[in-house]
This record gives sequence, C-alpha cells and structure tokens, in this order.
Amino acid sequence: MITTAFPRTIPMRIRPALAPASVVAALVATAMALVWAPTDAVQGDVQRVMYVHVPSAWLAYLAFLVVFVASVGWLWSKRPVFDAIAVASAEIGVLFTGLTLIAGSIWAKPTWGVWWTWEPRLLTTAVMFVMYVGYLLLRSLSLDLERRATRSAVAGIVAVVNVPIVHLSVTWMNALHQLPSVLRPGGPALDDRMLATLIVGVVAFTILYAWMLAARVDLERARQDRVLGSLLLKRAAGA
Amino acid sequence: MIRRALLVAAREGRADRRQPDGLVAAATFVAALVLLESVVVGPQVARASSVAPALYWIALLFAAIVIAMRSFERELEDDAIDAVLALPGGRDALYAGKLIALLGTLAVVAVGGGVLEIALLDLDIALPGHLLLAAALGVVALPAVVILDVALTLRLRARAALVPVLALPVLVPQLVAATNATALALEGDPSGSLAWSGLLLAIALVYAVLGLTIVPTAIE
Repeated sequence: MITTAFPRTIPMRIRPALAPASVVAALVATAMALVWAPTDAVQGDVQRVMYVHVPSAWLAYLAFLVVFVASVGWLWSKRPVFDAIAVASAEIGVLFTGLTLIAGSIWAKPTWGVWWTWEPRLLTTAVMFVMYVGYLLLRSLSLDLERRATRSAVAGIVAVVNVPIVHLSVTWMNALHQLPSVLRPGGPALDDRMLATLIVGVVAFTILYAWMLAARVDLERARQDRVLGSLLLKRAAGA
Repeated sequence: MIRRALLVAAREGRADRRQPDGLVAAATFVAALVLLESVVVGPQVARASSVAPALYWIALLFAAIVIAMRSFERELEDDAIDAVLALPGGRDALYAGKLIALLGTLAVVAVGGGVLEIALLDLDIALPGHLLLAAALGVVALPAVVILDVALTLRLRARAALVPVLALPVLVPQLVAATNATALALEGDPSGSLAWSGLLLAIALVYAVLGLTIVPTAIE
C-alpha cells in the first residue's frame, strides 16, 4: 500500500510539546531558584545567579557539541539538514555563551570585587565565544550553499577542541573560579535543595534549547529550499 | 602523497625566491613590531622575560598569517591553484605542501626576528638550548592552524579580515605555551620550559592530523 503520510518519528511527536514544556519548566525553575532554594550562608542571594550561569554554560557545551556532530554529519553525508542543525546550534551556543559570561560577571562583581578577571575559565570561555562568532562570520560571508556548509563544518570541528579546554581549565591551571561542584569525585558538594534546583534549571534550559533548535532548523531548511528552488529555476531558464 | 606535498613545497620555495614579497613583508612586520614595542612600553619593560617572548610570538603569528595569505593569493592570481587541485590527491598535497613551505619561511623570519629582539633588547639567555627548542616547536605549532584558516577562507572577499578572527582564538594555547616555554628558557627553568615545549609539540601534532584529515575537503 502506498502512503503519502510522513512517518511520525518520536522527535516529530514531541515537537509540539516543546514550547509549552519549555515555558512550564522555566516557570518552575525560576520559582525554585528564587523561593525554594535556600540562601547561601556565605555568598547570600547573589549565589542564585548560579541557577542561570551553570545551565547556560551547560547549554553552550551541548550546543557546540551538536555543532561538531552535525559538522561531521555534513562532511560524511552532504545532507543539508546537518548544515541546518549546525548553524542553528551554533547561534544558540553563542547566545548562551554570552549569557554565561554576563551572568558570571554579575556574580563576580559582589563576590570577587571585579566584573572580569584574567582567570583561565573566564579567558577560555571568552575565547570559545569569539571562536564561534568567527564561525558564524565565516558562514555569513560565504554565499554558495555547499561551499559554506563545507567550510563551516571544518571550522565547527576545529572549534570543538576548545570545549574540553574550557571545562577542564579550572582543574589544569591555578584558577580563581571554583572547581566543579556537581560532576566531581565523591559526589556533588551542594545542599540537596540547591542541587535539585540546579538540575531542574539544567532540564529547563535543555528543553528550551530543543525548542529553539527545532524552530531555527525549520527556518534554515526553508531558506535552503528557497535557494535550491531558485537555482533549479535558473537552470531551467538557461536550458 | 608525501612526494606530491614536497613538490608543492619545493614549488613554493622557488616562487618565494623569485618573488619574496611574503617573506619580506613578514620580516619587516616582525622587525617593526620589535621596535614599536620598545618605543611604546620602554626598553626596560619590553625586555622583561614575561613581555619580550609574548610580543615576539604575537609578531610571529601575524607574520605567519601574512606569509600564508600571500602564498595562496599568488596561487589565485595566476589560477595555478586549479591545476594543483585537478591532480589526484591535489588537495591533500596542497595543504601539506603549503604547511611545509610556511614552516620553512616562518623559520627564517623567526631566526631573524629572534636575533633582532635579543640584540635590540639585550636579552639575557639562561638556557640557550631550551630557548632554541622552544622557538623551533613554537614555529612548528603555528602553521597547521594558519594554513587551515587561510584555506577555509579561500576565494572569500573578506578573507583578510576573517583569517585573524578565525585563527587568533584557536591559536591561544599555542601562544601561551610558546610564550611560557621561551620565558622560562630565558629565566633558567629547564623543567618548566621543557613541559611547555612538550605541550607545543602535542598541539602541533593534533592540529596537523586534524588539518590533514578534514581541511583538504574545504579547499576549492
């Protein structure tokens, strides 16, 4: 039997739920961060910035790892969907790396006394931000769809080297930035309610990422279709 | 592939001898920067072991970009690049050949710039052998990334602006390692200098392998 219905895969089934799930998760995470989580005995309320800062940083890592995987996918298969995923994820990654740096600065001023300090974690994060801004710049200056995707894929693979450097910089070098509090040997060094709030924050940001990624991939795919359509029309007119 | 890469490198060497504009521009740039840094920060600050190596490596990095861009521009100007790319394995050979050629030219600029900086700033060298090793490995660590970024931006109009934007963030670990290896060789810390030199070697290998694996696909 011939069917014209598009197979409804799991990602397609859960997609409509991403937007409401993201809003609900964001509201729950905000309430937990501002009301339910206890005030830090040493840092006071400024510690609550962590509930934005850490999930943002996690999302930046995730986004850039997705850029890497999608870049490999493009070079391997030349399927345009991989290029669409790469650009979508890179844009979200840059946005959330910027948010990580801003939230970190807001926390640093009352805690360290400065908005910015030349510390390995801050420096490597700023370098990662610039690196992916360069990636987006490279994309924006290339006009041909396939060449742009190939160039960007190579840049996306090279840039991912910085992700583990950022994460491990605090353990490799003498750093002012605190060592990992959750993913550390011996278990998390956080109050249970703080840890639960942080986990809910990470989940909320991840759902937000999935929603933003799906929407941006749709836009990019529509743009790719337009470009390919106009190319086909030009070829047909030429023939 | 090695034979073809060496052919590309040899051809590059011949072109550099006939028309050494990339080499001259890079050497002049390094010399100008050594002079400028001394004028701007004063010779006492410029000769500090934490300052002189940093400025030297930044100057060499920009020199590497100048040489690599000039090298690819020469290929584009007379369409010679199309002939190389048309050969079987041409992309791999082009990347590896350019890498070897840049290494050679950059070594010449590094020696010239280094001698000039040591002489002008009257630098004290505690460990000459370690300094040579750090300089050699620093020169080896730069070209893979620089050629990679110049190749990525080939045939783009804004490549002069784009190459530094792409290359500089990726080269931060190389710059830090080369600067520390050189500074510790000047100060007389053999184990520290060797550790940073080892890191330089590791970085050079990682980017050379990465470059040889994926960059040829991006060369048009």
